[in-house]
Amino acid sequence: MRAGHLWLASFLLLPVVGAPLLKARAFRGFGLPARAVLSAGVGAVLLSWTMTMFALVRLRWGPLLVFVAAGLAFALRIILRRDEEALLPGEGREGAGRATAFIAYALTVLSLLATLAATIAARSTSPDLLLFWGPKAQQFAAARTIDAEFLSAPYMEYLHVYYPPLVTNVYAFGAMIAGRFPWGAATLTFPLLLAATAIGLTGILRTQATPPRTAATAALATSAIALIGIHASVAGNAEPFLLFFEILGLTLLVTPIARSTAGKLLAGLLFAGAAASKVEGLVFVLAAGVLFALIERGAARPFWRTLLLLFAPTAVALGTWLAFGASRRLFSGYQGYGSVLEPRFGSLATILSDVGVALWKVGYALPWLVPLVVLLLVPGKNHRVLLPVLAALAIAGFLLFTYLTTESIVRLLIAWSAARVLAPVSALLALASGVRDAR
Amino acid sequence: MRALKSRALLFSLVGSAVLTTFSIAALPFSRGLFRVPQTPFDASDAASTPPAYVLLQRASSLIPQGMSVVIRSEPPDANSDSNLHRFGVALLPGRKIRPAALWGVPTSPDVTRDAEYEIVLGRAPSHAPGRLLLEIPEGTVWRRER
Repeated sequence: MRAGHLWLASFLLLPVVGAPLLKARAFRGFGLPARAVLSAGVGAVLLSWTMTMFALVRLRWGPLLVFVAAGLAFALRIILRRDEEALLPGEGREGAGRATAFIAYALTVLSLLATLAATIAARSTSPDLLLFWGPKAQQFAAARTIDAEFLSAPYMEYLHVYYPPLVTNVYAFGAMIAGRFPWGAATLTFPLLLAATAIGLTGILRTQATPPRTAATAALATSAIALIGIHASVAGNAEPFLLFFEILGLTLLVTPIARSTAGKLLAGLLFAGAAASKVEGLVFVLAAGVLFALIERGAARPFWRTLLLLFAPTAVALGTWLAFGASRRLFSGYQGYGSVLEPRFGSLATILSDVGVALWKVGYALPWLVPLVVLLLVPGKNHRVLLPVLAALAIAGFLLFTYLTTESIVRLLIAWSAARVLAPVSALLALASGVRDAR
Repeated sequence: MRALKSRALLFSLVGSAVLTTFSIAALPFSRGLFRVPQTPFDASDAASTPPAYVLLQRASSLIPQGMSVVIRSEPPDANSDSNLHRFGVALLPGRKIRPAALWGVPTSPDVTRDAEYEIVLGRAPSHAPGRLLLEIPEGTVWRRER
């Protein structure tokens, strides 16, 4: 078997790791496919945390990782024991729109096939795969740990040593099994994770809306992410991971399961995945958690417990990573591209213009405009729409502030990154269009 | 109410159809969609990456682990050389990659002087840096002689 096949096959261990938690009765309403991808998400979070912890305590990576991570999933299941009766309200009302649902599923599949074709044709490969995600994963797999010596070697500053560890850990895990890091196979994480996002989204949303509504929302979100990903070259980069964790985590919070401990714990674990995938994931997690507590006050009581369930996994994941960085004298926090105390508001017009140009290059900014227009046109207002919309605004605001505080390379940075880092905004607007007439 | 819901679904489906159409239109049909690419970057926006990728992959079978390597472009280009250093770290794991340039600025000759191998992207250098190990359209690989 080729290394690429083995590397991809290693991902099948992720749902096995997360399965002990997702076996809980509270999640049965999602359906088996959605539970499988959510198990994989939880598995990735727990496995990555275990790998980071092993590195911190100087234990070499090996098969024990899988058993420890799965053991953590079992331990988390204990928290849900008292909450297990809080079943979901079923699979949603049967609507008459079978044809509508069929068309929506067909559009989802077409979008996924387009991302697969673009990836296989080497159309959408991210340069960052070759610049830092791949080299770090490859070296970590060879060293059987997060290799501090490699990260602190001369001339390696460009590796962004402080970037959170989930993507490199998951890539390295597969590389250990495959025997080497397969560059081509790594790009396939884009269509695979987008398919997982679509499946998870459909499974979670069907607990609060009719099948046609659920399918249509999933189709809109999937097609928007697909178009951005193809144009903005995200294959092999961390965006597919970030989007998977962010979108599914937030979707949980706009459905009935958000009232239960199980729903909040699962959302918290997925949020930890977002924060451990990319730096901006932490901003999203903080915004989403606080907004949930403010907007869904009934579901969020008691607040301390809700905030603990939503934020503790992120605190543990990033706390372990920062402890590793500090213990090896690699980093003590995240770095920016300038001084956060000196935003250059005089550059606001130029920055907005440059961001507009960057988004325009991605299908005339349609991945952002279409979900926004659908959101505005769809009738049936509901206060829950505020959660994804304000979370999207928080992400956009943070990225704008980042650009305002970036010094010499800001225009280059926008051209490189604006479209892909603003992808969650598009997906969250699509999600908002689907929750407004819910419940 | 039912009419309103139908309209909501219609908006989502039409929007999704438009976005899917644009995704399909973005595919590189002219390059041959089902032709296996030589590198993962063949049809990407990073046009300068595929030749370097091919050269470094071919070089990886010629340069033993632990050896020191400098990778540079011909004619010299500090921006390209900065990227080549990074590509070398990725595609020549286990070797010591000496940067010919960093962040678009050429490094001191001291940094690359003791490199045991030299990889040149582009045309062959006018003065042979050592024994020629590989010559392909993308560039050359040399074992430096002391």
